[in-house]
Amino acid sequence: MSGDKSISIMSSDTLASLRSRFLPDHLIGEIMSKRWIDNAIPFTALVLTVLVMGSIIPDFLSLSSLSDLARQFAEFGLVVLALTVVMISGGIDLSVASVFSLAVLFSLIGVNVYELPVPAVLAGILGMGMVCGAINGVLIGYLRLRAFLTTLVSLIIFRSLYEIVFVRMSTSIMSGFSMSDLWVFIGEGTVLGIPVSLLITLIIALAWHLVLSRMRPGWRLTAVGGARRSAFNAGIDVRFMVFLTYVASSTMCALAGFLFAARLGSTGSDTGVGLEVQALTAAVLGGTAIGGGRGSVAKAIIGSLLVLMLTNGLINLGISGPITSTILGAILLLAVFVDMRWQKHRHRILAKVYVSPAYLSLPPSPQVDAPGSPYVLNDRLRSVEIIGLGEIEGPEDVILDRDDNLYCGTRHGDIVRFFGPDHKRSEVFAHIGGHPLGMAFDKSGNLLVCIGGMGLFQVAPDKTVTKLTDETNRSWFSVVDDSRLRLADDVDVAPDGRIYFSEATIRYEQEDWATDALESRASGRIICYDPRTGKTHTEIPKLVFANGVAMCPDGQSFIFAESWTCSISRYYFDGPKRGRTEKVISNLPGYPDNINRSSDGNYWLALLGMRGPALDLALRMPGFRKRMARRVAPDQWLYPNINTGCVVKFNEKGEILDNLWDLGGLNHPMITSMREHRGWLYLGGVSNNRIGRYRLPDADPNWCAQDAYWGARS
Amino acid sequence: MIAAIRNAWANFRGFDLTGSTVPPMDGPLRPNAKLDAMPVLMQLDDVDNLTPAHDGILCSSGNDLLTLSTSGDASQFELSARCPMDGPVTSIAALGENLAIAVEGRGILLESPSTASRPLKVEGINPSCVTAMVFADPTRLFVAVGSDRHAASEWKRDLMTKSASGSVWHIDTGSGRAERLLGGLEFAAGLALSGKDIFVAEAWRHRVLALTGGAQPRVALAALPAYPGRMTPSASGGFWLAMFAPRNPLVEFVLKEDEYRRRMVDTIEPAYWIAPALATGKSFLEPIQGGARKKLNMLKPWSPTWSTGLVVRCDDRMAMLRSYQSRADGDVHGVTSLCETGGRLIAGARGSGKIVAIDDETAA
Repeated sequence: MSGDKSISIMSSDTLASLRSRFLPDHLIGEIMSKRWIDNAIPFTALVLTVLVMGSIIPDFLSLSSLSDLARQFAEFGLVVLALTVVMISGGIDLSVASVFSLAVLFSLIGVNVYELPVPAVLAGILGMGMVCGAINGVLIGYLRLRAFLTTLVSLIIFRSLYEIVFVRMSTSIMSGFSMSDLWVFIGEGTVLGIPVSLLITLIIALAWHLVLSRMRPGWRLTAVGGARRSAFNAGIDVRFMVFLTYVASSTMCALAGFLFAARLGSTGSDTGVGLEVQALTAAVLGGTAIGGGRGSVAKAIIGSLLVLMLTNGLINLGISGPITSTILGAILLLAVFVDMRWQKHRHRILAKVYVSPAYLSLPPSPQVDAPGSPYVLNDRLRSVEIIGLGEIEGPEDVILDRDDNLYCGTRHGDIVRFFGPDHKRSEVFAHIGGHPLGMAFDKSGNLLVCIGGMGLFQVAPDKTVTKLTDETNRSWFSVVDDSRLRLADDVDVAPDGRIYFSEATIRYEQEDWATDALESRASGRIICYDPRTGKTHTEIPKLVFANGVAMCPDGQSFIFAESWTCSISRYYFDGPKRGRTEKVISNLPGYPDNINRSSDGNYWLALLGMRGPALDLALRMPGFRKRMARRVAPDQWLYPNINTGCVVKFNEKGEILDNLWDLGGLNHPMITSMREHRGWLYLGGVSNNRIGRYRLPDADPNWCAQDAYWGARS
Repeated sequence: MIAAIRNAWANFRGFDLTGSTVPPMDGPLRPNAKLDAMPVLMQLDDVDNLTPAHDGILCSSGNDLLTLSTSGDASQFELSARCPMDGPVTSIAALGENLAIAVEGRGILLESPSTASRPLKVEGINPSCVTAMVFADPTRLFVAVGSDRHAASEWKRDLMTKSASGSVWHIDTGSGRAERLLGGLEFAAGLALSGKDIFVAEAWRHRVLALTGGAQPRVALAALPAYPGRMTPSASGGFWLAMFAPRNPLVEFVLKEDEYRRRMVDTIEPAYWIAPALATGKSFLEPIQGGARKKLNMLKPWSPTWSTGLVVRCDDRMAMLRSYQSRADGDVHGVTSLCETGGRLIAGARGSGKIVAIDDETAA
């Protein structure tokens, strides 16, 4: 290689490393995977509208016009919210405008003409709204009529009612006048500078937000809209839910009409005309799905603000009403189009941008076949005895108790126990549901299990399953919710009972664990659960696929593996070196997985796969891997070679003492775990259909890990 | 500038401007495992250049020129003669008792019963990369040269550096006069004669060309999902075509990634490249792809792989009729040479070091 070339490679590497360190590429995918990202486009449109209108229309953002806008929003927002609730449940309510105008009319009749007390009028109006809604609700929810046609009909009927009554009462409404302070307060008053009507709307909006996003009725509503049949099968009273949405919708519209009447004190023949189209535009612009199942209060608010600002702005610009409506219609069309494209492509875009590789430069791989290398290639593992062939799938970790029973997890979510000493018979020891990964025994013989996607569980000797923890402290600047445990991996217990376990990555689910290798980003960690306090906290953040964990006999430290950096470290959680991390091995020839103690005071380490030069080079070229993730199908991606595995024995100084191989992976393609027990080494692999058992020639035939950790059986 | 914008847009949208989408294995190439089911006549490491000759079947293994014969038991081949050469044998042609043997670094040697063995010196031919030869008559030899820059054994490097310097020649063995029929080929890897037509397999462009007289070459077979290599005529009409390695979407991607490819070629041994190969899984240092991870201790037959075995039966116009395959989990990979003898096709899987017999009638 010429000098120039090596310099250019150096500089391109430096550039790639700086870029991956300072540009948070991975955040794009994490933000894209958030549910609230649906609001991004409407929100941007809203901000743009404010900026554009504010710059071309003088006084658009002045206090008086804002206060006017706030009152308009209070009424219009309620109508949009009403429509949104119906749309979330999969229906549509075209009668919102006629209910609104009826409410305006009857409020004025009650207050101005008959001079009834305002609270009584309000109660009557709300009651009227409920009745209107109940008519719709019975027809649509219980008699299963089409929502569109039914509400179209009720739109016409309620509107006709309005016309009939309006013609008779218009003069008396005009001549009447209410002296009620409450009426004036509702129409024009403020609380702490906030218009009363806006306050009412905001309280209702907040209540709906809580219901829709945090409470069972809201979830049921969304379920009904998302998949009616599934909701029915899940035991939801679909008809009743649909009925309720129409009642709620019309009641809110009636309230909006009441507020409108209080503000203006008069009504005209065109009150509420075209409001349903405006409301529909606002709901769709906000991102509420016409088909149901998707929508939120935030969307309704964004959409109604957008429509209000547009119409106000257009009116301010002197554009006539019909043209404004045309423009709104065009915007509705555009919104439907954008919404459809967004829904269709969002997951595809997410799939393409989520994988965000980082720069990782590994030290040169040791030459395993070179003379003098501590690694000696052999086929010693090809002759292992096989346990449970075809009975189990995916024994990531294996462990043995004092009675020689063998425990392993399977991808079906079971912990299977093979009875010692011959391990021919087996039973399902516990069914937890997630794929069990790392295991350990605590002092009282409870089996501690890390379960991918679920967290840390405990299985007592009497088979009772207890969840120990499934969350840790949320870190401040993480976009993905890193308080949940996504991929708890390996576990070990300190002498005082504290449980240390690794979480491989916070960015991928268990079945995508190998994709994390493509990223090689520091998104794993080691977490501590203290059974004395029941608290969980993150002990070491930012590890690159934190994997095996094994306690050191000193009781103050543990050894842990980071797979993609091919390194082993030691962490002190107690004693004089507390909080310190020391590297033990930094250039393994493969990717380390679980670590466990050996009978001679050293450690066994499983290499789940071997490093290859092509991937090592790609790790220094994050741009290459990023393009690969976008261009090439996942099955064709470059992956760590996990078809060959081996077991290595090392000591605390980081010296390699022994190694066992199955080259070509005939018997054990991948080894993710191994346990020494009474002279045998038991082997597990996360994608194997068997457990291996290898006779260790020089091992102590009576050594049992449980005794070594907790002393002989008492 | 327009091209740059177009490329950037295509890059953003993921369009394929370069024809690098690997076509599906469909129609005559529908996946099967027939090649794995065929009887193995002999295990011979690095077997290549199977050629029917007057005294048995000639083939090569590394630097050795070998003669194979069937003993009484026709189901097995055995070695009847071995002749070490000065370098790896890259191709053999035979017509009656006339022989042409191309040796890497030495060029073409001619042997005929009347005269002693003599080298055929031709100006302009890369002596190290004669990939295929075929006699039209005892004095006229057609020669395919894979690349002017690389030796035949460095075919991976030729693909990965995109030399595009292959050629096809017509040589009069008597006078030594040579005419270049076609140049600028992306690795000419196989030749076959059919009346006036000369078929040329252009491996890195995944196609077979047909040359007729001095006219422009016609594309006989294009958009192949594998790299076409040697061809041999069949006694019952038509041709056999060996495709020595499959195309792979990741390789196609790497071919577009100049920086990665350059660093890979500069710093990594060819056996461990992201590149097609004659055999897969010889070392754990080889790269693997997501779909090639073993699940429940099995390598799935549809796994992405660097090597497969693929022999295609074609008609006399080189249209594909049916195929014999060894898939990712099979063990007859990297078929580089074919010859017909005794009504059977003998295929040499260089990657797996196996010679298998294909009985087209019964297997069809």
